[in-house]
Amino acid sequence: MKRTLIYFAALLLIGSSCKDFLDIKPQGELTQEAFPTTASDALLATNAAYATLRGWHYHSGGYPILDIMSDDTHKGSNPNDQLNTLGPYDNFTITPTQDGLDRWWASLYEGIKRANVVIEKVPLIAMDTNLRGRYVAEARFLRGLYYFDLVRAWGGVPLVLSTTPPLKLPRSTAAEIYVQIEKDWLFAASRLPEKGEYNSQDLGRASKGAAKAFLAKMYLFRKDFVKAEQYALEVINGPQLYDLEQNFAHANSREGEHGIESVFEIGAFETENALGNQYANTQGVRGTPNRGWGFNRPSENLRNGFEADDPRMKLTIIDLGDVIDGITILGDGSTPDYIYDDNGNIMERECYNRKVWIPGLSTNTQYGHNRRLMRFSDVLLMAAEALNENNKPGQALTYLNRVRARARMGNNAILPDITVTDKDALRNLILNERRFELALEGHRFWDLVRTGKAPQVLGPLGFQAGKHELLPIPQNEIDISQGTLTQNPNW
Amino acid sequence: MKHFKRIGRLGILTLLLFISTSSLLFGQRVVRGTVSAGQGGETLPGVNIVVKGTTRGTTTDIDGKYAIDLQAADRILVFSYTGYETLEVDVSGRSEVNVALKEATTMLEEFVVIGYGVVRKSDLTGAVSSVKSDDIRKITASNPTQALQGKVAGVQVTTTSGAPGAGLAVRIRGVSNFGNTSPIYVVDGVILDDISFLNSGDIQSMEVLKDASATAIYGSRGANGVILITTNRGEAKSSGKPQVSLSTEFSMQRLAKKIDLLSGKEFAIISNEIKPGSFNNVDAVPNTDWQSLIFRTAPMHNHQIAISAGNDRLNSYVGVGLYHQDGIIPKSFYKRLSLKLNNSYKVVDGLTIGNNVTLSPYQQRNAPNVTYSVYRAQPVLKPYYDDGSFGVVYNVGNPLADLEYSNSYNTGIRAVGNLFAELNVKKDFFFRTSFGIDGGYNKSMSFTPAYTVYNPDGTASQQDNQFSDLFKGQNESLTWLWENTLTWLKTFDKHSFNAVAGYTMQRSRSEFISFAGQNILRDSRDFWYILPPYILDETNNINMLQSIYNGVDANLYYSMISYLGRVNYTYDNRFIGTVTFRRDGSSKFAPGNRYSNFPSFALGWNLANEKFMQKVDLLSMLKLRASWGIIGNEKISYYDRFSRVNSGLFAVFSNPDAAYPAATYGKTGNPDLKWESTTQTNVGVEAGVLNNKLTGEFDFYNRVTDDILVELSTPGHLGNGMGQRVRYNAAKVLNRGFEFNLRWRETISKDLNYSIGLLGTTIHNEVLTIGGNSGIDSTLIGGYLGNGQPVTLSRVGLPVGAFYGYLTDGIFQNQAELNAYPHMSLADVGDLRFVDVNKDGKINGLDRTYIGSPIPKFVFGFNVEVNYKNWDMSLDIQGQYGNKIFNGKDVVRPDPYNFEKYVFDRWRGEGTSNTVPKPAFGGYNYFPSDFFILDGSYIRLRNVSVGYTLPSNLVKQWQMENVRAYVKANNIYTLTKYTGYTPEIGGFDVLSNGIDNGVYPIAAVVSVGLNINF
Repeated sequence: MKRTLIYFAALLLIGSSCKDFLDIKPQGELTQEAFPTTASDALLATNAAYATLRGWHYHSGGYPILDIMSDDTHKGSNPNDQLNTLGPYDNFTITPTQDGLDRWWASLYEGIKRANVVIEKVPLIAMDTNLRGRYVAEARFLRGLYYFDLVRAWGGVPLVLSTTPPLKLPRSTAAEIYVQIEKDWLFAASRLPEKGEYNSQDLGRASKGAAKAFLAKMYLFRKDFVKAEQYALEVINGPQLYDLEQNFAHANSREGEHGIESVFEIGAFETENALGNQYANTQGVRGTPNRGWGFNRPSENLRNGFEADDPRMKLTIIDLGDVIDGITILGDGSTPDYIYDDNGNIMERECYNRKVWIPGLSTNTQYGHNRRLMRFSDVLLMAAEALNENNKPGQALTYLNRVRARARMGNNAILPDITVTDKDALRNLILNERRFELALEGHRFWDLVRTGKAPQVLGPLGFQAGKHELLPIPQNEIDISQGTLTQNPNW
Repeated sequence: MKHFKRIGRLGILTLLLFISTSSLLFGQRVVRGTVSAGQGGETLPGVNIVVKGTTRGTTTDIDGKYAIDLQAADRILVFSYTGYETLEVDVSGRSEVNVALKEATTMLEEFVVIGYGVVRKSDLTGAVSSVKSDDIRKITASNPTQALQGKVAGVQVTTTSGAPGAGLAVRIRGVSNFGNTSPIYVVDGVILDDISFLNSGDIQSMEVLKDASATAIYGSRGANGVILITTNRGEAKSSGKPQVSLSTEFSMQRLAKKIDLLSGKEFAIISNEIKPGSFNNVDAVPNTDWQSLIFRTAPMHNHQIAISAGNDRLNSYVGVGLYHQDGIIPKSFYKRLSLKLNNSYKVVDGLTIGNNVTLSPYQQRNAPNVTYSVYRAQPVLKPYYDDGSFGVVYNVGNPLADLEYSNSYNTGIRAVGNLFAELNVKKDFFFRTSFGIDGGYNKSMSFTPAYTVYNPDGTASQQDNQFSDLFKGQNESLTWLWENTLTWLKTFDKHSFNAVAGYTMQRSRSEFISFAGQNILRDSRDFWYILPPYILDETNNINMLQSIYNGVDANLYYSMISYLGRVNYTYDNRFIGTVTFRRDGSSKFAPGNRYSNFPSFALGWNLANEKFMQKVDLLSMLKLRASWGIIGNEKISYYDRFSRVNSGLFAVFSNPDAAYPAATYGKTGNPDLKWESTTQTNVGVEAGVLNNKLTGEFDFYNRVTDDILVELSTPGHLGNGMGQRVRYNAAKVLNRGFEFNLRWRETISKDLNYSIGLLGTTIHNEVLTIGGNSGIDSTLIGGYLGNGQPVTLSRVGLPVGAFYGYLTDGIFQNQAELNAYPHMSLADVGDLRFVDVNKDGKINGLDRTYIGSPIPKFVFGFNVEVNYKNWDMSLDIQGQYGNKIFNGKDVVRPDPYNFEKYVFDRWRGEGTSNTVPKPAFGGYNYFPSDFFILDGSYIRLRNVSVGYTLPSNLVKQWQMENVRAYVKANNIYTLTKYTGYTPEIGGFDVLSNGIDNGVYPIAAVVSVGLNINF
């Protein structure tokens, strides 16, 4: 009996002596205490802040709702596809529970977290100080980029500048967010190399020029036209790194990737996996050839708005029967070719976004579209806009006409130079040029909002002033915050 | 291994000591022997033996053996045992006395297997239900757990799919959390999560442990209940001849019921109403019944040979089973060979070693889930063009083509078993050590050739696979469990103790690797390998290996250390007390929260054994019992407590594109995680009247699960990313109910006996809190449909996984009515009228509300058995009441699909219908609403069987002992209002419970079989 008990006690001891027995670490994965701690970790963490840009959710929650909310496009695809989830963006009947809002919000904050990892942890790593400074500047550029979407979409949002934010964080004001964006981009503009200073394998990283171009854009949204003019002109007149592509199509196509017109773009492989970007697949031709889902259908209003024979129209809209890169566009069997109103006028026709077209036979290649977040023609038009506001119409016309000249693509019979110098008239012409130059690239809605023209232009589509300038804060974020987050006005 | 050696040496030593001591004592003699239940029956452990007229006595050991020292004057021994008649035996002049106790006629004493031991049913204080082998074999199924459906009060078994080899969702006493609510299985002492490898024919009994008193011995893993399975052991027969049994069964399966869908003409009529001019002549359209084209009658067969042999030293059981089921959807099957080998060997008296081993190789072929496309495919489309090629089925894909080009297989083996040694350390002490393993290896493979289904105009339709795809995956897992227990059985005077203490260690490891390739050189099976030379990109001539993944299965990577103990005390066969305790340590929790204690206390009172009750002749048995205890749950990923780095990322720079690896913080882990715990109270009554002709068991249970391990959405600004949830201990759920189990047994004559059983459970399920002190998320959204819309929302006051959506109250009959009510801008006359629940004058997402519960209020079973001469008949009915089903397959309509028949009773103008709206191919009327909530109550004829046993004098001539032939039918009739294939909609995810997204239908089965014993 005694022996048994001794034996049994010995057994128990075996267990208690194996303390390590219950220590099991994640397999094949680091924990956050151990990262980033080396120079190569610092590079990995910096690269990760870019990876968010290729995520489907980053692109306004997956679907191009900014274009759909503008007068440029409709929902697209066949009439029932995503009717209730995406359709309401087309006529401003969305609600705070609308599909996609939460995805966009979450993705932007995911990008911010990744940038914060670099900004907070990389300075603690013993490594080459120049490189370290560049990594932090890249991260601050990207953090600014993510907040810029947040503030334009929702106004004031929770401001997170560390990797360990509190669980409940109220909204800062839009002004406070803009102050932070300005700080981040000024820092980035002062510390980042120029596009031309990067090695070819680093082409696509944030550059000084990109930071300045976005500063110019941000100041336009803040109506600080002096600074907008300053930064736009620094990009244009700086080290002469940028120019317009000769062929307008190349501004967005494969040929112009990381080319002369590209100020900041999102690199992507032509594969249907994490290396690709589904942004273009979402809008790709539906049916035959099967290049995507066919959302974001160019509107009749956009089509008819182009000036006569503007070559940009055919380089913006794919119609049925077009032959592109040797492929005939036949379209989708379940999508009507035309939709008419009660009076027999065309309301919509089956057509697609040409700017995201990538040659190839499979849907895979469509994932390879490098979305341009900042093109040089945008910088020129921003310069023109700021100069006009600063009462320098002559200079403004130079840049505006430079964009029109390229659009002509050698045909001098079309798109004559603009000579109007009246400030209000020129403002409208510049806004109009932005619409056709940058159509379907996600600019139009916010351009209308920031210039105050949204109620007039989008009112017939359902836009209500005082409400639709901002999206509603996703209802689930309000619910989770247990009241810490407040809803935007009138939602 | 060192330890085993020690046990051996120690055992022999102890044994020698024991023998020498007894023989050395002068003036005394020893009587020894075995006590069994009836002549040649099972041996009885724990029989009370007292020398008449004294208080000296002993009890029999686990093998029914006893040895007692007698003084010269001792003559008579009294053998007593609950449930048996007390026997007095004159032992003068004898040294070996074997005794056969006769069963008391008033009491059918049963033994019940409980965790780490066996107790007499009368000594049991916990809520435990048993199912015996005969009942388990009645249902032809790959997974023996199916036999519990409708057989055990408090247990709900739901098939997740009718696909051969598909899993089962098993829930004991409701749904206690938001994640894994499956019970654990203990097969001959080995703790497992799943028993799909086990052949029903090898099972002797299944015991379901339900309350805290029964499950607390499994501590951290008992909260969802425990199913103990005892497999067959070899038996010594009086003749010494091995017993061989053969059984063979052939079955045919067919679709029990078709879904009533629109015919071609009806679809054309409806289409013309939605979109005028769609069909010029509705009488001339094709009428394709896609269901008939897909579903087939499929065979199933199941064979077994078992050999059971033994003598007083060695017992051996060998079972070989073959199960082969073809699915009612072509290209699906499940085949399993099971080899069972159970041995025990008595090395010396008091030391037994043995093993229980199951090896189960299997092969499974999976059909693509065409149920959904069959439901959606328009009946006006032809399956084939005139040239025999597949016709296009817009938006859905031609299900026949899906099947044709699908090749998906799983092959693997599962090995489960243990080695054990049992040592009678000293007369009342029994030591057992057992080392068990559960190993699995699975290979999966799928191949889809390049193919195209063409539109009528010759262009490629969307059902188009440009490059052939090949996927291969392998995973392996190995769990070992080492358990050591010491049992003490002691009876003196009126006191009886049954105590156990133990120490166990467990470790689980797993790894998987998978890779995918494209554009394989040839389509034939000889080329289904991912070898770079065979994987060609036709344009670039580079290999197209798409992906490689390698890692561990996060649910199978942990270790545990446990201490356990239990004392069961009986006084005078009247009062019983049980105290159970387990302390568990798990690697899944950080050091500070690693260990937790799980106690339980229970009391029982055998009222029938009280003197004052003896006069009540009517009552043959009456027991009251009550228990309280805390049990745990820890079924979470091994890494949930860690904040991990996500290193699977890339940045893409340069021209041409180049990928650069990236890594950053993934979602934040929760280092404060601790055990989820369920506090369960149970009060039960067991009664028997009229000599136990009528027996009944009644239990009331109240389970409160707190600190539920639940993944909650975190605020977006934390940057965890869309859909990323973090696990917290942050919810509380109540399950309360009443269980009953009644049985009437009667033997009318030598030739006729019968029994009737009725059992049922009520379930009240309610979320008490969500979010807890985590500060976030007061609701849990789930039940995502194919289009990403969630239709369940769990929040305080509602059941887990409650459906939510719009409430409807009719159809807008005219424009005036539409104008008068709040409505969405999308709503039109003839559409559903949604209720403005929050009364804000608008209809929007905020008006979605509770529209039904997927959890039944009442689950029941009814069984009849009749034996008349050589005939036997049984009937099992099972059902549930009060649950709702969300018809998810009807709701998701991005494209024009076929409709269910009800659409034909549509609104066609004012006053024509106030229930079915005007038809549409999607849109407003298909917002999730109570329109799609259907009654899920049903009564199912689960089994009817008739058997005939050949006259024994006849079969004796063939050297056989027993021959029985039978026919049976499973699932042939279901009474339900539900319109889908089956109201049995199961799923492992409790937040997606009861959503019919187009399940693989469960088949009706008719079988013939033969059992032969030699």
